[in-house]
Amino acid sequence: MKRLLPLYAVAAFAFLHLPLLVLAVFSVNSSRFTVWQGFSLRWYEAALADAQLAQAAWNSLLIALAATVISTAIGTICAYGLWKGRSPVVSGSLYTTLVTPEIVMGVALLAFFQWAFRFLHVQLGMHTVVLAHVMFSVAYVVIVVMARLRTVDPALEEAALDLGGTEWDAFRLVTLPQLWPAVASAGLLAFTISFDDYVITSMVAGVDSETLPMVIYAMARRGANPVVNAISTMIVVGLGVLIVVSERLRTS
Amino acid sequence: MRRRTLFLMGLGGLSGCMRDTRPRLNIFNWSSYVGPETIPNFEREFNVRVRYAVYESNEEMLARVMSGNSGWDVVFPTSYLIDAMRSFELLSPLDHGRLPNLHHLDAPFKKPGWDPELRWGVPYMWNATGICHAAHRDVTAWGDLWAPDLQGRITMLDDPVDVFGACLKKLGYSINTRNPDELRKAQQEAVEQKEYLRAYINAEVRDQLIAGDVLAAQLWSTTAQQAIDESKRLAFCFPDEGYALYPDVAVVLRESKRAALAHEFLNYLLRPEVAAGVVKGARTACANGSARALLPEEIRNNETLYPPPHVLARGEWALSSTPEIQRLRDRLWTEIKSA
Amino acid sequence: MRRWFLAPTASMLAVLFFAPMLIIVAYSLLARGVYGGVTDDWTLESYRRLLDPLYGAILLRTLTLSTVATVLCLVLGFPLALFISRSGSRKNVYLQLVMIPFWTSFLVRTYAWMFLLRDTGLINSALLALGVISEPLPLLYNNGAVLVGLVYSFLPFVVLPLFATLERLDKSLLEAAADLGARPWEAVLRVVVPLCAPAFRAGAVLTFIPCLGAYLTPDLLGGGKTVMAGNLIQNQFTTARDWPFGSAVSLVLMAVVMVLLIVSMRSQREDLL
Repeated sequence: MKRLLPLYAVAAFAFLHLPLLVLAVFSVNSSRFTVWQGFSLRWYEAALADAQLAQAAWNSLLIALAATVISTAIGTICAYGLWKGRSPVVSGSLYTTLVTPEIVMGVALLAFFQWAFRFLHVQLGMHTVVLAHVMFSVAYVVIVVMARLRTVDPALEEAALDLGGTEWDAFRLVTLPQLWPAVASAGLLAFTISFDDYVITSMVAGVDSETLPMVIYAMARRGANPVVNAISTMIVVGLGVLIVVSERLRTS
Repeated sequence: MRRRTLFLMGLGGLSGCMRDTRPRLNIFNWSSYVGPETIPNFEREFNVRVRYAVYESNEEMLARVMSGNSGWDVVFPTSYLIDAMRSFELLSPLDHGRLPNLHHLDAPFKKPGWDPELRWGVPYMWNATGICHAAHRDVTAWGDLWAPDLQGRITMLDDPVDVFGACLKKLGYSINTRNPDELRKAQQEAVEQKEYLRAYINAEVRDQLIAGDVLAAQLWSTTAQQAIDESKRLAFCFPDEGYALYPDVAVVLRESKRAALAHEFLNYLLRPEVAAGVVKGARTACANGSARALLPEEIRNNETLYPPPHVLARGEWALSSTPEIQRLRDRLWTEIKSA
Repeated sequence: MRRWFLAPTASMLAVLFFAPMLIIVAYSLLARGVYGGVTDDWTLESYRRLLDPLYGAILLRTLTLSTVATVLCLVLGFPLALFISRSGSRKNVYLQLVMIPFWTSFLVRTYAWMFLLRDTGLINSALLALGVISEPLPLLYNNGAVLVGLVYSFLPFVVLPLFATLERLDKSLLEAAADLGARPWEAVLRVVVPLCAPAFRAGAVLTFIPCLGAYLTPDLLGGGKTVMAGNLIQNQFTTARDWPFGSAVSLVLMAVVMVLLIVSMRSQREDLL
């Protein structure tokens, strides 16, 4: 048993990491097929030269930034509000958004936008994607910030109020500074979730708002393409770095 | 602090001014259906910017366009959808005054059955659906795709019209049948086939055919030719029982605010040299008679793209259905996919 | 004052979550237009169609695949969590090793399995090269591939709660078991596993519910054939253009998820929010 367990752990870690490592290895393979033919960066060059990919990556970045700022802001103050006094309705609703299957959320938002646009003369586009991303990110932000809030001493705020400050001052000057690492961590989390989303984005994206996951999905459907391997590796490394930084901030 | 903010805002404003102010045209087309230079040349000549995106199936396109608010200007439905799109007021009638190049069309496409006056769309390219298979296998009929020894190595198109077409032809019926019983029998055939079927996919199967993962695929002649270009070990056959023929038509959507520019684009596509460029790039058969003369010998006589008369005779042009039959087809298709 | 803090989130939820869900409820009760869209006729047709055994089979397949995936995750995840809880100072490193693949792109990870399982993918190429098989195995586009994809995606969800519980476990219990003559694996099976029951429940819920709603995994790894509920819903809203039916299926799926959630929450008190 003592020897089996580490062996099993090695196998389990291999299972978890091998697929991504394989992708990375074959992204530098000079051949199109899964036969090793020498080291080459041509697929990375092709990926970086592709105009559609560049546009999609730019769109993903803009959407993720916008969604992150909005969801982190309203999520943080929501967590604060929940900390000050429970609201089963808001908590329950946020929890429901977490468990709703993505495809159901996607079709619901699509139906809503289509219906609303009959009266508003707007089309699906970047703004609808940002709204959708805010919707599913807020719950995550609230969870992360709430976890940190539980370690904050309410007596500090009471002291501020006793000294003559308003409630807003108490929040801004006393509690918020303690929350910054958690807020930053939540923001990074929201960013990665938004950047990576495919299902909901594909339902509500418009003519101009093709995102990176959408392009990757289309290429993946067309069969194994080493360019997809190259992009995938870049994404994994990029998002991986962000997550590690986010974890460091959260636990600091 | 305030000065810096104003400065940054000024910069932002300037960058807004430097944005691209050329008129835009949004074109939604089948994948691999234009030549490499077709769109860039149009952009250069008319000094416009084209947003060009692709789809893999009529249904995908229709789902986006149905809302009447999709943002696209020009799309390329297959001819049998024209009636339906027209009834949903999705199409803008064509202004022949803006399309002087119409006379270049091939004779059969000047007064086509689905749109005798060419009021709604300009025929673009046409295709047939057959079977693209590994050359060493003897495949000549739809029936050959129900072979147990091809288990897991065959695919069919993710397109109800094509799947029903194959099954109906296998049973000896017309692909345009309006008989519910015949459609139900065709549905049963399709469900039986699912046992051997690898997947319902469209142009995506091209890579898998080339790699040898898939031995036989129901495929459009255009896509098949593209695959054969990349691998000499593939062949295409027009099944013995008969097959479906489809023209794809360029239409202007009613929601488009750039109808004039859209017409310019359609007129541009009708130019013989442009159409020839598309054929060479996309390996398709075009509806443009004048363009055919410009094509190199090997394409003009390519039997996959331009089948000889006796093979062409086995083909059947796809027509639209009545609303009730369309509803039945849609429902049967869901049942096939879910089985 | 507290109201102002909750207001943005509450209004966002109302507009972007509840309103859309209400529209879905409405759509599920309307009739389908000829080529798609909805008409103004109210009808229960969509729900009646759901009684067709064909769709019951899809729901059953969804439940079965989700259950098998969850059980596999629990069985495979427990020894891993056990190992990590016993690895002393390197616990955090191992935990990060488990989590990092999970937090990078879901789409990329699913694609990675497509790459591995294809006929000309790595696994088949390796087996062919080693002479173990003479023809490529059909590893992709079937239920098995979907299962692998699901387990791969949700294994970390199981490892974390199990680890959290195992870490807080009283080591003296295991010593006591050993003193009484139990072999190590017996001690684990008879003592540790039952004590981890709440963690197993938490992990099961965290895995089962997303599996029920899975769409991308069966779509890419199932080849358009393995239809789980998620695929059916997406299909109805896009190519089949039958929004009322798609809405009905969505609501049924939501109902199943909510019921499971309520049942699981009754047996444990989790206060995330």
